[in-house]
Amino acid sequence: MQIDLRKPELVMKLDRLGSFHQSKLSFLRSFIREFKNWEFTTEKFALDKQGFGHIVYVVNNGQKQYSLICFSNHIEDSERSDRVIATKWDASFVLFDGVPTEEDIERLNDNVPLQEQGRVSEKELCLSRANKSVRVFEHVVDKLSKGEQPNTKLLYDVGYLYRTTAVYGSGKFGLADRIKIQNREELKGPFRLEMMLVYLARQFTFDVVNHVAYSRSPNKAVKLKEDIARNLGIGNSTGLGMAPFIVNHPALLNQWIIAKEKALKAIRSISSVSQKDKDIFQSYLSIIRENIKFWKTESDFQKKKNNQLLKDLSIFQKFYSTFPLNKFFWNSIYEWTEANTQSECCEFIISLMMEVYPDIVEPLSFEMSINEDEYFDIDTSRTIKEVCQLIEDQYTWLLDINFDDKENILNFWYYSKNKQEPRMSDRFTEEGSDLELPLAIARDVSALYDDLKSCNLEKDLGYYLLKNQEYRHILRRVLICEKLPYSEIQDNTISKTLIPVDMLRLKLSFFGATRFDPRSDRWVRITMYQGAPLMREISKSDDTWSYKKIA
Amino acid sequence: MHSLYEIETTIKRSSRAEGLSWGVSEEAGKAVRLLEQSEFQGLESFRRLIDLGLNNLNKLLDVDQSNTRNLCPIHFGIFFLDQSHNKELHRTYNFKNINEPLLIVPFLSKSAKKNLLYFHLKSQDLNFTISPGGIYFINENFFPKNLTDFSLTVSTNRKSKYTQSSWDYLYKLSLDTFVEETEEKKISGAGAGLTDND
Repeated sequence: MQIDLRKPELVMKLDRLGSFHQSKLSFLRSFIREFKNWEFTTEKFALDKQGFGHIVYVVNNGQKQYSLICFSNHIEDSERSDRVIATKWDASFVLFDGVPTEEDIERLNDNVPLQEQGRVSEKELCLSRANKSVRVFEHVVDKLSKGEQPNTKLLYDVGYLYRTTAVYGSGKFGLADRIKIQNREELKGPFRLEMMLVYLARQFTFDVVNHVAYSRSPNKAVKLKEDIARNLGIGNSTGLGMAPFIVNHPALLNQWIIAKEKALKAIRSISSVSQKDKDIFQSYLSIIRENIKFWKTESDFQKKKNNQLLKDLSIFQKFYSTFPLNKFFWNSIYEWTEANTQSECCEFIISLMMEVYPDIVEPLSFEMSINEDEYFDIDTSRTIKEVCQLIEDQYTWLLDINFDDKENILNFWYYSKNKQEPRMSDRFTEEGSDLELPLAIARDVSALYDDLKSCNLEKDLGYYLLKNQEYRHILRRVLICEKLPYSEIQDNTISKTLIPVDMLRLKLSFFGATRFDPRSDRWVRITMYQGAPLMREISKSDDTWSYKKIA
Repeated sequence: MHSLYEIETTIKRSSRAEGLSWGVSEEAGKAVRLLEQSEFQGLESFRRLIDLGLNNLNKLLDVDQSNTRNLCPIHFGIFFLDQSHNKELHRTYNFKNINEPLLIVPFLSKSAKKNLLYFHLKSQDLNFTISPGGIYFINENFFPKNLTDFSLTVSTNRKSKYTQSSWDYLYKLSLDTFVEETEEKKISGAGAGLTDND
């Protein structure tokens, strides 16, 4: 039986992309697989009794070292904000290439807590910050200092002790450019360093609560039980800043999606499936249905999605329990799921299928990076007719959108002057649309198409570009999409109906985030590394930790 | 020091702020990034260009355009990047003057690699060749802020840069890696038949 990749017109719809779940391909999981045999140590522990000061963790394989320097600072409750516009944080982190000297730490202590307002150097690789979940942090420290373990109901409802609000890499604020590290074998997967930072920051959160509790009551205090710590991740609060990334990096987006699609195709193509494989899937399904109960959210949008997921999983379970192990079993499972459940459930089942076949899926995680510069140049020898045809084939979905209709062009994306972060506003009621970012892909492809159609179709793009440079950036995209068919979101990113959280969810699912908790249609809280091995036991990880039962 | 990412992004945004399209701004960002990565003063050169006012500069839109004074190097570079695949354009052109000629180098370099072309720039003040091989030594101190009366030859022809005697000497040396063939080897060593007529 010939199984094809799912078509981009199905996969690249925002509603579908916004239903993706973490999987074996997620970056935080591939990070642990890659680094599990490295040595993780606490190089320096310099916190005062209140937990302020710094800690240095080192990741070492005998030849190469990376260090996370964590700065813990006092801030007033009134200064604590999840928003990227905040200027002070409980903790700030910088990932260092090598092991820092005292002079390095001193220099970084002056800059890292300032985040965007400070400067780092090419010795540094990633930058981040986090705030305490105040209600949980204080409760945990209080209990531990009294010799008791904290209330796990409260802990697991929240899921973490600290919440990060941004993780910067690749040349921002003076950090090392990606070209410095792109050829390192251990960094072949995407966002490896960012994932390392977040993993070590999670360890920092446990070390801080244990230290502060001990300092409060050295004779009585106990350490946070490892079983409890393991069930805690690190939170993240993400706003619109993340959304343009997936539009601005079409080649990279293609690599992420196609890895998943190749995995699905390979699994659907397995002709003979064993009872053991079916049982493994069932065991993960049973655990995760329990764990979903810990996905707390106040968002009606997400509640609806979660409830639908639970409902769909329930009918899926009935089907799965009775469906016989016929030939191409997984293909039948997939086709039934696609036909009978919503995207949220369908994508969830795909993630679960991938768990059963590490040998198929894990190698694909090394194909998720790409040299974007190779796709930058426009082949100007192509004819205008060819490009029109490409648009008709690849962008069929937008050709009927009426861009004179206000609702279809309601929003515009821009950079805020204050924080240099992307924002989205109503172009008809707010100022600034003259400084619109080039993220209105659907509208601009449509305009390019109209423009091209009015030219001599036999001429080449060189001829067209002599007098028409306005849509040069769009022409580039159309040609990228020809080579990389999963590079373009097939929805109008400026329409009234856009749900930006879907764009965030797409990226965060590839990071490996769980417990999506949208706080509005523009920002979302998530958890990372919940269930992951602790630093001292990372070498024992078998990559099944995402499906361990919570509580 | 600023990262190359910061340089590229800042140039791209400032180009856009000066009225260039997003696509052209992206090209400008990449060009200055490449110059700075190669330790040329691309950013300073671009800054002087902004001071001149991008809108005041003359865009090259046609090789036969009559006015080639006060040319913009970004549009000049993009012209040859976009048009050089066209063989009809492989010849010598004469231009009156161009501002910040350093900024055309990344575009010609890219076009040379893409289309296997040689760009020979000649003037009283400055001469250089950009080739698809990608190794060229350009002394930025020789780059004037404004270049007058210059020619640009676009060619696919690679010129030989060695003497026949050097070639003969090295070729003879290369034969020392071959094994002298005896009559017996002629029979046993060849894979094909002894005649071409079987």
